[in-house]
Amino acid sequence: MNSESGKEDPFDSILMADNRFHCEAYKEGLLEGTRQGLLEGMSHGKTHGARLSTEMGFYYGFAFGWKCLLQNNTDAKSKKRLKTLETLTVLIQRFPHDDPQYATLLQDVEKVRAKFRQVCSMMNVPADFREYVNVAAGMSF
Amino acid sequence: MSWVKSVTVDSEDVFDEDVNDIILQNKEWNNNMGKRVKDGYRDGVDAGKDASLQRGFNIGYREGVEQMVAVGQMKGILSALQCWCQLEHPGSPAFSSISHLLQDVSRHEEAQIERMKMSIGQPPTASVGEITEGVEDMGMEHTDTGCGGGSCSKTDCCKKEQTPNGDATSLQTPCQSATRPSFSAEESVEQLLKSCMDLVVELGLPEELFRHLQQLRSA
Repeated sequence: MNSESGKEDPFDSILMADNRFHCEAYKEGLLEGTRQGLLEGMSHGKTHGARLSTEMGFYYGFAFGWKCLLQNNTDAKSKKRLKTLETLTVLIQRFPHDDPQYATLLQDVEKVRAKFRQVCSMMNVPADFREYVNVAAGMSF
Repeated sequence: MSWVKSVTVDSEDVFDEDVNDIILQNKEWNNNMGKRVKDGYRDGVDAGKDASLQRGFNIGYREGVEQMVAVGQMKGILSALQCWCQLEHPGSPAFSSISHLLQDVSRHEEAQIERMKMSIGQPPTASVGEITEGVEDMGMEHTDTGCGGGSCSKTDCCKKEQTPNGDATSLQTPCQSATRPSFSAEESVEQLLKSCMDLVVELGLPEELFRHLQQLRSA
């Protein structure tokens, strides 16, 4: 307010001061806001990513574990089970887990959940893993 | 406020009311400018937040995914083993070993998620690198993290730097000590994976399962 007014037209600098104050404060605020936004976004994102990851990891581990246990069985029933387990692992690996803005994320997650339920009934496993199925997956602001 | 001052100096013999008037105008000017600064700052914060929330979310999301993959898969594998044991070998002692380990893994998972939830709305817990990455990606400049010595231990040791032309282009970046509390959590995942591998060997389960756990451990 004092250094530049000497060089410039003092009347102009009074008129422009309004704008200048706003602009400089805006720049400062922008940096602070960016910092806050990143940190806030990160802590929210982390929780959501962790939830989806544990859910998908659980399904994958479950399918993979059963596949290992059944792999040497040659009876028709086991073969059918192995095929369904294989489908589940393929479904899980088919979409990127680390991109919350992936276009068909919700649909893909739903498909995996449905396939998991099918696997559970096929294995005669009581599907009391319901805590997972209700978890919201996602997403973005 | 040189123009205001010069007027007050020249007008010593003017009625008091006029002086009061000038003081009032001076106050009003300061108020107005103060308001402009406040408004500008607030607008800037809003704009900055709007522009960076999603990016922050994406960065955090990736981190969360990475952090929980091993735990999730371990829980799935142990659940499969538990079901299998119950169906194929009811009453075997292996069942309780599997169940115990599964409980440990579940507890660890819950604690991790709970900790992440707690950190929402709390002072920054992110590392310098992540924020810097995010800011760079947004095309915003920064100069220095303000923590050159690397020996600071508090999160609020922020410093703002000015470039020669006076623009504040640096970002206040929180610094943290090198020893993060999450270290113990990682150690515990490592331990759980080790116990899981031991169990697989003990029960004579397929080699493939052991190798998969080994992979999770090295990832």
